[in-house]
Amino acid sequence: MGFSVTTLVFAVIGIVASLSTRICFNRGPSANLFHLTLVLTATTCCWMMWAIVYLAQMKPLIVPILSEGE
Amino acid sequence: MARRLRLFKEQMTKAGVSPSMWSTRDDHFDLEHLEVKLEELEAELLEINANNEKLQHTYNELLEYKLVLEKVGELFSSAKNKAVAHQKELEFQTTVEGSIDSPLLLEQEETTTKQIKLGFIGGLVHREKSIPFERIIFRAARGNLFLKQGVIEHPVLDPLSGEMVHKNVFVVFYSGERVKSKILKICDAFGANRYAFSNDSSKQFQTIREVSGRISELKATIDAALIHRSTLLQTIGYHHGQWRLLIHKVLQRATMDCSSQVVAIFQVLETTESPPTYFCTNKFTSSFQEIVDAYGIAKYQEANPGVYTVVTFPFLFAVMFGDWGHGICLLLAALYLMIRERKFASQKLGDIMEMAFGGRYIIMMMALFSIYTGDASTTGFIKVRSTYPFGVDPKCHGTRSELPFLNSLKMKMSILLGVSQMNLGIIMSYFNAKYFKNNINIWYQFVPQIIFLNSLFGYLSLLIIIKWSTGSQADLYHLMIYTFLSPTDDLGENQLFVGQKLLQLVLLLLAVVAVPWMLLPKPFLLKKQHQERHQGQSYDLLCGTDDTLESESQSIAHDHDEFDFSEVFVHQLIHTIEFVLGAVSNTASSLRFLAHSELSSVFYDKVLLLAWGYNNTIVLIIGIFVFICATVGVLLLMESPSAFLHALRLHWVEYQNKFYEGDGYKFFPFSFTLLTDEDEL
Repeated sequence: MGFSVTTLVFAVIGIVASLSTRICFNRGPSANLFHLTLVLTATTCCWMMWAIVYLAQMKPLIVPILSEGE
Repeated sequence: MARRLRLFKEQMTKAGVSPSMWSTRDDHFDLEHLEVKLEELEAELLEINANNEKLQHTYNELLEYKLVLEKVGELFSSAKNKAVAHQKELEFQTTVEGSIDSPLLLEQEETTTKQIKLGFIGGLVHREKSIPFERIIFRAARGNLFLKQGVIEHPVLDPLSGEMVHKNVFVVFYSGERVKSKILKICDAFGANRYAFSNDSSKQFQTIREVSGRISELKATIDAALIHRSTLLQTIGYHHGQWRLLIHKVLQRATMDCSSQVVAIFQVLETTESPPTYFCTNKFTSSFQEIVDAYGIAKYQEANPGVYTVVTFPFLFAVMFGDWGHGICLLLAALYLMIRERKFASQKLGDIMEMAFGGRYIIMMMALFSIYTGDASTTGFIKVRSTYPFGVDPKCHGTRSELPFLNSLKMKMSILLGVSQMNLGIIMSYFNAKYFKNNINIWYQFVPQIIFLNSLFGYLSLLIIIKWSTGSQADLYHLMIYTFLSPTDDLGENQLFVGQKLLQLVLLLLAVVAVPWMLLPKPFLLKKQHQERHQGQSYDLLCGTDDTLESESQSIAHDHDEFDFSEVFVHQLIHTIEFVLGAVSNTASSLRFLAHSELSSVFYDKVLLLAWGYNNTIVLIIGIFVFICATVGVLLLMESPSAFLHALRLHWVEYQNKFYEGDGYKFFPFSFTLLTDEDEL
């Protein structure tokens, strides 16, 4: 459930960033397509980074040792 | 036509006529009519000028002639009067003496007879030359002549030079032809003008009247000619400005037409070889494009890797560098370079500084992604109850399980990112082939490559995700190895999901099939294509046998299309091997992602915290100083370039290698300055 929600958050951020770029930096069809490509690529990379770390911690294989005294 | 306009302007300036300040609005003037009109006007003007010169010359000569006649007339009259007086005196003496003096009278009559036979020459000579003139004549004739000169009060207009000169009138009396020829030569040498006249007084007067009449006529003619010339020049001046403007317009149009011809020639050249490549960039994207161009310049209209490079390159750097603290340091450095942009752009920088300034936007992007990945991968402790929402659980830091966990995390992350990047590259090759309508590359390059990569390493990525999701304790290394060594054995404790064994067999079979799929069909299909083209040319040759030029053209084309099957096959073999081995080594090279954070932890724990533990101010200061030096010197200045180079290699090898041919050449506009530089070199 946490994974799905955060993925949705990344998707929303990506869409908002795309629309913002389109509104603020409207420079013609070619440049707009370029900006869209950059925003989507950046969003995907950031999501992948987060997702990998998150998935790695979902079910840890190595049991953590809480204190060295035990 | 411009020359004629300049001539007209010069003539108008001489005549004191100024061009018209306002020009008429004759829009129906066209160029051919203008040329004809200018030609006619020029001829007319030249003719008028020539006629005026002739008239002026003749006029000057007649003026001199008149002066000579007047002076000579005076001389003759004076001489005559003296002679008469002398004669009367002689008669008086004869009368007084009576018959005794009769023989003397007869003698005198004989003298008069001799005098009639003398010759004479009259003319004008320059005053400053008159004395030498007189001496030389005396010596030439050995004194056997009589010379008389008279001064002209006013300067005379010289017919030859057209200048006002002071002159003398002279008359020379001589006897014999030899003396005459000598005198004529001397007159020529001194530039003396000679004029014929009679010794009869009545004829002299008649000639003077005639010359005066002619002078008056010429004067009137000259005046009329000058008026005509002035009128013509005024007419020209009336249109001069407009004509000049029209000619300039036409010249500009011709210049543009010449430029157009150059463009046409360039287009013709385009058919002989592949055109150069030009990518439009700005100050932000130009540095990323340089990274791509360092690998190779794109072939004409090939997909540009630079587009994705703007994001993927800094991201890969950040995955390796991955430290928010040091990321902030990089960001500050980049912001400094950007703020001082205008100053540095106009300043001469050192090599290293020049490179840093040129890449200031790359540094900024790398810094931003580093801050993000630093947050996303901050070390921490894993809670038992729920997953830490963002980044690594901070409680994990410092425990004995930190290192095994982080190493495992980063290795798997490297594989996932590496495989994603390679897939992106292969997908780009699909778009390239689709754009160039190359079906062979789609079905026999793109498809088998996708199958091979994802059958093996894509499957490995899937296993990683499943293991994370299910908490399985399967050993993925053994799993992959035994998939190849003994695919039919039981999986045992390494099984992750139902039906895994069958799936692995299918994927292995697909990978095995994909390799010959990449290798074999393409060379044979290329050979078939070549043969079809060759047969087509054979037919053309048969049809065009009569035309030798066409035959030569076909033979040239045939030579250009020479096909060597063995070379194509070997090339495809090398390409296939490169891809297969590349997929393996590129996945392994993704492990470069592990590099950075260990160093950071070492410096933090061993230097700063150690110094803090002594509770001594001096030791603490020394510790802080060492930590700062280590941070700037090692982590920022040495580790950053290292991560940069690793990201560069990953980007070139894993991403661009999958689709990018890069055998084009960059576009340079034509420039005479460059030609000059090349000639000098």
